Amino acid sequence: MSTQSKKSSIQNKLMRVIMLVSGIVVLMTCAAFFLYEYYSFRESTLQKTKTLGEIISTNSTAALAFENKEETEEILSALKAEPHITEAGIYDINGKLFCSYPSGYNPTKLPLKPGLNGYNFGNSSLEGFQPIIEGNKQLGTLFLKSDLKAMYKRFELYTVIVLLVLNFAFLLAFFLSRFLQKGISTPILALAETAKAISERKDYSVRATKLSDDELGSLTDAFNQMLIQIQGQTRTLNQFNQELENKVNERTMELGAAYKELESFSYSVSHDLRAPLRALNGYSKIILEDYGSELNDDVRKLLGNIQFNSQKMGTLIDDLLSFSKLGKKEITKKEIDIKEMVTKVVEETGSNYRAKIKIDSLPKVMGDYSLLYQVWINLTSNALKYSAKKNNPEITIGSTSSESETVFFIKDNGAGFDMKYYNKLFGVFQRLHDTKDFEGTGIGLAIVNRIIAKHRGRVWAEGKPEEGSTFYFALPDSDVKNK
Amino acid sequence: MSLLRKISHRLTCLLLTAFVMSSFSLQNSPSREYRVKAAFLFNFTQFIEWPASSFAGPQSPAVIGILGKDPFGPYLEATIAGETIDKHPLIIKHFNSIDEIDNCHALFINMKNQDELEEIIEKLKGKNILTVSDANGFAKFGGMIRMYIKNDKISFQINLEAARAEKLSISSKLLKLAEIVKSDKKQ
Repeated sequence: MSTQSKKSSIQNKLMRVIMLVSGIVVLMTCAAFFLYEYYSFRESTLQKTKTLGEIISTNSTAALAFENKEETEEILSALKAEPHITEAGIYDINGKLFCSYPSGYNPTKLPLKPGLNGYNFGNSSLEGFQPIIEGNKQLGTLFLKSDLKAMYKRFELYTVIVLLVLNFAFLLAFFLSRFLQKGISTPILALAETAKAISERKDYSVRATKLSDDELGSLTDAFNQMLIQIQGQTRTLNQFNQELENKVNERTMELGAAYKELESFSYSVSHDLRAPLRALNGYSKIILEDYGSELNDDVRKLLGNIQFNSQKMGTLIDDLLSFSKLGKKEITKKEIDIKEMVTKVVEETGSNYRAKIKIDSLPKVMGDYSLLYQVWINLTSNALKYSAKKNNPEITIGSTSSESETVFFIKDNGAGFDMKYYNKLFGVFQRLHDTKDFEGTGIGLAIVNRIIAKHRGRVWAEGKPEEGSTFYFALPDSDVKNK
Repeated sequence: MSLLRKISHRLTCLLLTAFVMSSFSLQNSPSREYRVKAAFLFNFTQFIEWPASSFAGPQSPAVIGILGKDPFGPYLEATIAGETIDKHPLIIKHFNSIDEIDNCHALFINMKNQDELEEIIEKLKGKNILTVSDANGFAKFGGMIRMYIKNDKISFQINLEAARAEKLSISSKLLKLAEIVKSDKKQ
């Protein structure tokens, strides 16, 4: 929303309110005035007509008593001075029309006989009868009819005046409100301007200017107070943030150092463990070769066990070494044709197995050649190993791709695994099957996990006992080429 | 043809007027004349004020007297039946001679002789009596109201001075209808 429209909207609202209120007030006043005028005019017309009737009837008593028509007519003709009296008539005591006004007026238009005394308002006229009394003797009746044209004429004039006043009041209200609403809208607009500037520039050092000492003034004060608090809080927050960052850096460095230490420790431990093992293995081999014929079968068997176990321990240590070496190794990325790599791996590992291996189309990715080669060696040999005991071992290697990553999978129909041990699957030296059934140290998947983690990818698996398993790894898209 | 028509029209008008005159004319029917005069006589009393001293009490009767032969027959009696002058009930008294007149407020004098009339007027002075007559020149020689026929209608003359002299106040409304006359200067 632009500032201009916001500005005009609040100003318009204020002006609309002022003009509406003043318009209603003027209208109500005019209506009251109208009503008052209407009733007072009716009342005054009635009074006037009554008074006139009183005068006429008092004056005409003698003329009526002596049946002097000329005189009666003359008295009635005095009504000329009151143009709103349009008709009049005098009836004698027997109810016969004696004289009518205006003279020459068609008397048949007058009421034939006098009606009840008193005046009534008709549609556009006031008419009524009044007794003509001398002393306490009624001599006749007077009829008067007064039209209310004058009233309507007057109301026409009033309407014009009211319209003029209304227009003028609106005009005045318009200009006054234009001027007066500034007292309210200016501080609000200033406040809005400040708030907008702050939210746009995030500069909490800006302060709104206080323009008045009323509620808007205290609003401005409160607003400024709030800004001061925000500013203070932001400062504290930044401070905390900085401290936290420093602390994290410190801890990371410490952690890195400890990790390195641990790695070199495990490396040296594995390395140092190999020497005595090699001795153990060597000496038991020498005993078997040099003195084997002198020993009975039991001893020879035991020596064989020693040799087997020391060799196994050697393999374990080797694996451990290569695993810990992985931690130190920096990866060097280049473009790899996975299809070519997998084909090579299958050729190398699959020769001793009768499994049917199907390789789908596979994309090229960016990665460390030797490490990904190791991943494929481990996964393929696992698949071959665990499916070897099936009647029709089958392995499928393929890939799918999503928006942000490429997923590779290798699926077999071998021994599978129970998903409840899933969290042990990628651990070091963790085995879900007995060594008697499937040989191995249990470090292969841990290595896979570590290599893929180094590529910022992820590893997961699905499996069911005796039905097979599928191993997946995903590499982020920045590492994938030629999808 | 047009001329003939005009003549016949005029003739018709004339005949019609004559017929109306003959049936309604005041002269030709004395009873009707006196019926109106009776009403007039009563009406005069309604527009005239007597001094309070002329009544014995607040509700004592107001007397309309007739001196001479009563020309009204039953009409005056009928006209004033139940009527009052300011709460004074109206009654009629007949007088044969001037000496009989004692308590009277309005007096209709049915006499024609001027000398006789003048004598009566002179005798009534100071008694606050309204004098009415239809004798010729009545108002001019001191009578207060004279009724006469003019244009086939009853009109009346009023001698204001004479009325004032007897402390009678006549309503201006009545005066407006009357021809005001003054007493002829005595030689």
